[in-house]
Amino acid sequence: MDFEPKILGIACNWCTYTGADLAGTTRLKYPQNVRTVRVMCSSRINPSFIIRAFQLGADGVLVGGCHPGDCHYGTGNLYARRKLAVTKKILEFAGMNPKRFRVEWISASEGAKYAQVVEEFTGDVKALGPQTTFKIKKD
Amino acid sequence: MTAMKTIEENLKKEARRLLESGEVAVVIAYGRGFDENHPMPCAITKAEETEGLVFNEYCTFNLARYLPKYPPKTRIAVALKAADSRAVVQLIQEEKVRREDLVLLGIPVTGMKDQKTGETIDNRTTCNMANPVLFDVLLGDEIHGFKGGSPYDVLEKLESMSEDERWAFWEKEFEKCIRCFACRKACPMCYCDPCFMDASRPRWADKSPTPDGHLMYHLTRFYHLAGRCVDCGECSRACPVDIPLYLFHKKVAKECEAMFKQSAGMRIEDKPAMVNYGNQDSDEMLR
Repeated sequence: MDFEPKILGIACNWCTYTGADLAGTTRLKYPQNVRTVRVMCSSRINPSFIIRAFQLGADGVLVGGCHPGDCHYGTGNLYARRKLAVTKKILEFAGMNPKRFRVEWISASEGAKYAQVVEEFTGDVKALGPQTTFKIKKD
Repeated sequence: MTAMKTIEENLKKEARRLLESGEVAVVIAYGRGFDENHPMPCAITKAEETEGLVFNEYCTFNLARYLPKYPPKTRIAVALKAADSRAVVQLIQEEKVRREDLVLLGIPVTGMKDQKTGETIDNRTTCNMANPVLFDVLLGDEIHGFKGGSPYDVLEKLESMSEDERWAFWEKEFEKCIRCFACRKACPMCYCDPCFMDASRPRWADKSPTPDGHLMYHLTRFYHLAGRCVDCGECSRACPVDIPLYLFHKKVAKECEAMFKQSAGMRIEDKPAMVNYGNQDSDEMLR
């Protein structure tokens, strides 16, 4: 059987989540592997969420936010960019494959971009196989 | 008289002067432990107690750790080595202490010794600086011509490993953890109350020491110290099971310096990197 990755998507309410909605209403086709969680802003994301997702068995984490400068709250995603950049470096140095973590800026009007990013990322994660690095081993 | 003895004499003299004149309410420095090789941090409030102060090569503790515990407007004098002064600068940036409340007694020193092993501390485990970056009074002669080399050379081996090898390395190291929180207790920048590990809602990790809890604790602590860690190496020295935490902290500090063009605790005017953003920030950092 083919490996179907489980991907956690964390999307900002104003841009990426609405963009995902647009992808749906325009009936674009994209893989169903992303489970999306909505947050009010990408800067609300606690890096521990990402570590926890990997521990609970996510094969990849996709974070979506507004384009820098377009944040609903003015500067939220500018902070988020720094936070997520450091998070990525930490994951990488701890031994997680950095390809399993991706941040994309997708605006509310970019439904097609959302579909394309999800397709790309799902393909990447699928190629990497199941994530066992951080996953909690149950005996 | 050796350099250490000179510093000790100057420390006593300065502490006495500050307490007698009422310029400060408390002096935080080093006192005698159960023997000469195990001095302890101590806080004194009376001039006659200054005779009990010591300074020798075993006085490694980062005394900046105790500053946020005092209520604002308490006048404090504190003895600081190079990394310790960086911690104070960082605490001032974070508005945890006020510059006007502090009298900083700078100690220029190299070649400190580890209390546990009695050996000279490998300066690749610390920020490798000799002189404090910020001080009011310097208790010894400024050290010139000290060449430490880059503090990040020690990372080469881990950086050249593949991800799986690195994970194997850290998995083995974190497995030793007994969750005693000595690293958190020793760290001058770990002042959160409650710490995320002590919070019960959400509970990030099991209270009992489990491997996944260790991973969550350490990785999140590395993140919380991103752009703030002053590389004093206290966490690694405090660790009873010798986890080389300094390696990870150094890596995060190195990346932060490369991305945000700013080192922790070097300039009092800086804003901490993680509560700031810059015009030069680009999406390149996310690649």
